[in-house]
Amino acid sequence: MQTIAIIGASGNMGSGISKSLSKGNYRLLLCASGQDKVQAVVEEIKSGNPAADVEAIDCSVEASWEADIIVMAVPFAVEKEVAQKIQEVANQKVVISISNPLNDTYNGLVTAPDTSAAEELQKLLPNAKVVKAFNTTFAADFTTPVIAGQQADAFIAGNDEEALQTVSELVSTAGFNPIIAGDLAVSRTLERMQLLLIQLTMKYDYNWLAGWKILHQ
Amino acid sequence: MYELFFQKFQEKVPLTDEEQEQIKAYLTPKKLRKRQYLLQEGEVCKAIAFVERGALREYSVDNGSEHILQFAIEGWTISDLFSFLTGEQATYNIDALEDAELVLITKGAHEELLKKQPKYETYMRLLITGAYIALQRRLTSNISLPVEERYTSFTEMYPDIAQRVPQHMIASFMGVKPETLSRIRKKMADRK
Repeated sequence: MQTIAIIGASGNMGSGISKSLSKGNYRLLLCASGQDKVQAVVEEIKSGNPAADVEAIDCSVEASWEADIIVMAVPFAVEKEVAQKIQEVANQKVVISISNPLNDTYNGLVTAPDTSAAEELQKLLPNAKVVKAFNTTFAADFTTPVIAGQQADAFIAGNDEEALQTVSELVSTAGFNPIIAGDLAVSRTLERMQLLLIQLTMKYDYNWLAGWKILHQ
Repeated sequence: MYELFFQKFQEKVPLTDEEQEQIKAYLTPKKLRKRQYLLQEGEVCKAIAFVERGALREYSVDNGSEHILQFAIEGWTISDLFSFLTGEQATYNIDALEDAELVLITKGAHEELLKKQPKYETYMRLLITGAYIALQRRLTSNISLPVEERYTSFTEMYPDIAQRVPQHMIASFMGVKPETLSRIRKKMADRK
């Protein structure tokens, strides 16, 4: 059984991911700076599914050391700090980048056009297998991955074939339709796709329950 | 995190600092808590594990009874080599007898290192031939020596394991019933 550390598990995205992954055959280590909040997420998961293998852990380094897969469910702005802490214990592990490097007004990205949050994380964790995932899904989508009768697509990008398969399984467990989009550089597109979805959500009031679906033959 | 790993490595094959850094980039540090599995029968064994701290065992199960193939404490490696090399399902389970800190070499890392670093290949060859010799000795002792003698040589060769591992597991490792081992231990104690 694989162990997944979710760093930032008390946030909207972190708790959404934790709850949906607890349905799968994984051991979850939930980690966040506020122990009360993260403990509440653990209790909530356990009350719905007493058999879930989930626990709160207060140290991101310890959690990552125990883990096979690390989910960075923290805002882009603090990713650097977290990455520096876990760098040594994340060696060779799958690290999932979920963040979208939005600016304060949500009308653009803070990253340069020739890079992405995922690629920046890869630079900070050179020996980890960084995979972009869960960045085109809103937190509310995790409780409702089927929106208006359609299962939302969830895009994945990365450079390691085995890591992509591993993350694909996580995405399926969470209830989304996984689509491997390409190598890690495709994250630039994926992060911009979410910029668009956020802008549309605000403009047309989708109530933060919206997602992408590729229509095809 | 990798101290003992490189100490053991360097005892067999000396490395420069650069070579050590190159190899380190391919290693996976992993903590395991007591009673957690590193591998379960039916899964594919994805890594060779080196023990930095703690103790593990590898065993098979038939009709509910466990047969321990190997223990591993600090400085030892453990894996289901058949499953690791072929990608077929593992026939063994590996779990932690104590909280453990491991250094894992995944299949992908292993293959890359074999290609890129000849010293790694030398180290692996020495490691596996050493394990093969140990296995030959264990087999010979199992088919030719009385249980009492086998137990004595086990405690002499591996006093740490004999201390740290419960008696019923040592009995399983030796292929005898716990009562048999207990009787032998009593007989030996009476003789002293």
